[in-house]
Amino acid sequence: MTVPKSFAMLRSIVGPLAMAALAAATPSPARAALHVVTTVEGLAALVGEVGGDRVSVESLSKGVSDPHFVDANPMLAVKLRNASLLVDVGLELEIGWLPPLVTQARNPDIRPGEKGRLTAASAIQVLDVPTGPVDRSMGDLHPQGNPHFLNDPRRGLEVAAAIAARLSELDPTGAATYRSRLEAFRGRLEERMAAWDKELAPFRGRKIFTQHRTLTYFLDYSGLVDAGEMEPRPGVPPPPSHLAELVEIARAQKVTEIVVENFYDAKSAEVVARHSGAKVVQIPGDVGGDPGARTYVDYVDEVVSRIVGGLRS
Amino acid sequence: MFRTWVAACAAVALSAPALAEEQSNEPPTSTDADRARLEEEIRSELGGAPSKAPGGPAVAEDRAAAQASGPGPTGGNALARLLLLPDVSAIASFTGVYDGYDVANLSPDRGELYGPKGQPTFILQEVELGLQAVVDPYFRADIFVSFSPSGVDVEEAYATTLALPGNLQIRAGQFFTPFGRMNQQHPHVWEFVDAPLARYRLLAQDTLSGPGLVASWLAPTPWFLQLELAAQTTTPFDGLSPGFTGDARVLQYFSLTDAASVGVGLSGARRREGAPGAYRDLGGVDVYIRNRPPSSRSYLAVQGELYLRKFQDTPVPGGEPGQMESGVPQNGWWTQAFWRQDAYLGYGVRYEEAPAAGASAPGTEQRLGGVLDWYPSEFSRIALETSWDWLPGGNGGFEGLLHFEFGIGAHGAHPF
Repeated sequence: MTVPKSFAMLRSIVGPLAMAALAAATPSPARAALHVVTTVEGLAALVGEVGGDRVSVESLSKGVSDPHFVDANPMLAVKLRNASLLVDVGLELEIGWLPPLVTQARNPDIRPGEKGRLTAASAIQVLDVPTGPVDRSMGDLHPQGNPHFLNDPRRGLEVAAAIAARLSELDPTGAATYRSRLEAFRGRLEERMAAWDKELAPFRGRKIFTQHRTLTYFLDYSGLVDAGEMEPRPGVPPPPSHLAELVEIARAQKVTEIVVENFYDAKSAEVVARHSGAKVVQIPGDVGGDPGARTYVDYVDEVVSRIVGGLRS
Repeated sequence: MFRTWVAACAAVALSAPALAEEQSNEPPTSTDADRARLEEEIRSELGGAPSKAPGGPAVAEDRAAAQASGPGPTGGNALARLLLLPDVSAIASFTGVYDGYDVANLSPDRGELYGPKGQPTFILQEVELGLQAVVDPYFRADIFVSFSPSGVDVEEAYATTLALPGNLQIRAGQFFTPFGRMNQQHPHVWEFVDAPLARYRLLAQDTLSGPGLVASWLAPTPWFLQLELAAQTTTPFDGLSPGFTGDARVLQYFSLTDAASVGVGLSGARRREGAPGAYRDLGGVDVYIRNRPPSSRSYLAVQGELYLRKFQDTPVPGGEPGQMESGVPQNGWWTQAFWRQDAYLGYGVRYEEAPAAGASAPGTEQRLGGVLDWYPSEFSRIALETSWDWLPGGNGGFEGLLHFEFGIGAHGAHPF
């Protein structure tokens, strides 16, 4: 039986393409024991610190993105399809995009409560948990508590420890590796924390403004004090009266710095700065949020040095 | 005898790790193969239990999150019952309509968003009540009930499997037919206030939907490739008897850059029309291109859909807008571009062609429209949509829609 020429040609094109597609789709277990997907780059950096070459890791969002508003692009479901472990922040940070992706990925191992799902918030003490009545006249707030905890290195370390424990559970033969890498990371981070503590010490008690309640944990760590937010009701544009009030607070309480993550629009901060004489300091919102914030330690380093730099000048 | 032997072997196999543990302080180091063998033995002893138990034991951290971390109040937590309530949400939509020509007679069959000619009219579009929760380790449920002046309608009420093997997923219940992109969306997700005319005229007077089940498979490809096969009983237009409908859809998404992605869908459906050998065929192509830099809330989305319809041995007139004779294909299409400037504002433009309806001369109706969306927050929207309609024969004119919607409660995130 002869094969028509056109069919043979089609086969010669489709065959290699299909092979290439399958090759690209197949994870490379020879190199990594586990494939970990995280929702934000900060968590991916911590997984990389603890997992080293034993894990492959990728983040669903970029460090330059506002993690509240990531598109639930089906391409992200493809990343989740083969994940051995999904590490998310929790506290409803990803509520607007992660749940449909997890359902779409058809990977039962990464559903909430499964072994392949680690919610980082479960490893830390959560702040800003509302205790009184809550409704959305207060903006799009997080009723379970503040999810922006990766800017506090103490909590970053706690999350790294939880990641190491979970990796060990999923890959018992690598437990010793994860343990030793965690300790090495702890050593490096604590060394840097000693240096950051020295840098921050002269400014403890100093008041700053923030864009949104994203620095609660960093303030808790650094001893700086929040004198107000540009956007007191998350997701609701601040009225001019609020910005005017901040200008008055800045003048009365000598607030000289407004810290804004670089994924936020700094327009309100610039208005307040212009009228009050305060300085706008932009910081990366996460690992990867700035060329200088490639690792977790570098990220916190950038946050500390820029905030301290702004207070010094 | 054989059973006794198997049981004895299984007992030895099960006790072996325990013995090893007693003899050594080293943790057991069973390989994946050992574990798989043990699971297989236990499965056969249990008589073919599910191969993979979803909802397995949560590990320490998650248990800590899910359970009280310290001693609870005397008598337990009286509010714990609230934790088991489904997510409840309501989305209410109201629209003020105005047209400068006679839409009610010359261009009906477009949902319910029109009033008498030249007379501003306010319409309660709908109040959509959403109930969403995980049912058990095997299913989650999504229920959407629409309350409107025309009555109460169960728009969707379906369960979705959570743990089928082989990248498979099944939805069963009442659901929007997986035909095209827009047919599966609830109106509050649209950038425009109303759906394109072609969708109302060629697919269904509201949404092509019905009870049935849909199986979908996510292919193991580096891009997103999903195949869906649905079997439903649909009633796309008033006056029709419910008819069995088979539907297939292929949806693919590709990333072009960090910012841009493109989705292409192909849909096909056949609906039985009662009489033996009578049916209608539906075909559709949908394209969605979105460009959103990762550091920005702004995005540009360009999309469009083409619908094809053909009847076979179905009586004419069948009471449907623009229904053609047996074997004659019809088509309609629309395309739109929407620019979301920031969190609060968006602008769109849309062009569409559809078979004319009502008392209009037969032929193709064209409409060009624009929309301005203002989002005071994530939970409310005010939209102004204006269009110009060209009917065959030279009629047509201005249409305006002023729309307000708000959502309360915990409404699950929407797919892309």
